[in-house]
Amino acid sequence: MSELFWIDDLTKKTYADLIHDLNHFKSASGIIFEKEPYWVFLKMLHSAVNEYPVTLLDGGFTKEELVINGVFDNEQEKAVHGKWRQFDSWADIKKQILNSSKTWQMTLLTSGTTGVPKKITHSIQSLTKAVKIFDTKKADIWGFAYNPAHMAGLQVFWQAFLNQNPMINVFRKSADQVKEEIQKYKITHISATPTFYRLIWDKNEQFPSVRHISSGGERFPSDLKVKLLQMFPNARIRNIYASTEAGSLFAADGEYFHIPERLQTRVRIEGDELLIHKEIIGSSDDFQCTGDWYHTGDIVEAEMRDSGVFFKFLHRKNEMINVGGSKVNPLEIEQELCRINGIKNAKVYGKNNSVTGKILCADVSGKNINEKEIRKILSDRLNPVNIPRIIQFVDKIEQTRTGKLQR
Amino acid sequence: MNEQQQKILLEIINIVRENKDLPPVTELRGEQNLMADLGFDSLDLAELAVRCEKEFGIDIFEDSIVTKVEEVMEKINV
Repeated sequence: MSELFWIDDLTKKTYADLIHDLNHFKSASGIIFEKEPYWVFLKMLHSAVNEYPVTLLDGGFTKEELVINGVFDNEQEKAVHGKWRQFDSWADIKKQILNSSKTWQMTLLTSGTTGVPKKITHSIQSLTKAVKIFDTKKADIWGFAYNPAHMAGLQVFWQAFLNQNPMINVFRKSADQVKEEIQKYKITHISATPTFYRLIWDKNEQFPSVRHISSGGERFPSDLKVKLLQMFPNARIRNIYASTEAGSLFAADGEYFHIPERLQTRVRIEGDELLIHKEIIGSSDDFQCTGDWYHTGDIVEAEMRDSGVFFKFLHRKNEMINVGGSKVNPLEIEQELCRINGIKNAKVYGKNNSVTGKILCADVSGKNINEKEIRKILSDRLNPVNIPRIIQFVDKIEQTRTGKLQR
Repeated sequence: MNEQQQKILLEIINIVRENKDLPPVTELRGEQNLMADLGFDSLDLAELAVRCEKEFGIDIFEDSIVTKVEEVMEKINV
């Protein structure tokens, strides 16, 4: 098992295959724009070990879409020539990356949920700062549940690659397929969004092989940990705060993140927004810092405890819905909806309306429950203004390319 | 407003009332006041507007606030 590198429906590659492909690689360019995750990884490794800069674009878009957004640079697409390094083993590649590839730079795009995507340039140091390399991690087997062209997917890639772990692709698979892969390959580690876990969650099934679950990219619902422990009884559950700009910054056992001492001068909460010092984010011309600080747009709730400062993520700055003058947080309502038996997933949004400006609507997926019953349950838990007035049943809730709810 | 449209409007009003735990009304009369007689608040009016727009393709509150059932009927009829 330790020989395997990447497995999905189309590809099964060992680390020996990866080394072979790297040594025989012939299509180097300054852009990585691939649909297949294996090619994303191969091209990224090739540029890293040979130290030429690349821009990583999401292969799920068309080239036309990227050109329109001004992020596809035809100059960069041109072939890069050089005398490429050859490797005998995974350990040689790892050594080259960690010890020698100091000048390598890779530019990523933010997922662009609002406006035009921003370019952020990272180094190998900033991409791998949260990676843990230990002998005890040699036996880890990863369920790969993110888009490989985004920060979260890259974090999993580097963690797995630098420990020579196999990765099994479970991104955008159905719940049954994910469960099948976990059992078949005895997956030990999964990193994914709460949306992913909500979709595969089943109280009647247990997967003892999974020892580590990370959740990130979206608010960590308060009941998620209990649910995950039912399904993955041997897992340690970690909630991760990460961004394209800064990579992984905080990890917590539940909703609240502790700001560790080493980050206390580099992270602060102004008003209720989380600010990050420019020293610990990638470089970019696409966003401005105020003085030395980058405004994350993440609204958090801070809590002072004897052991230090803690915070929990509440919502994105522009995500609140104004219903007749009352600000409603859709994430809280989604969380309440998902607590209802029979509801698998939910999306809450505002619809324009001439009476109250916005009216709260919800799309839900699930069975054995109707709109009236849902509203009755919510009326016992929520203020009337927070109860969706139109609840629609849908087969599937759309997700973004990063696996979050599509807003 | 034809009979079928009236029937749909009655259904919509009763859905909004049912969601407030109010008993259904059996008939609609033009002089009924949406707030005083049917027990609607602003959120219920918003819901009524969205449901009417979905059924009839008309935003009944687009130009001005409507207070009576007959005004809703007129808007739908336009």
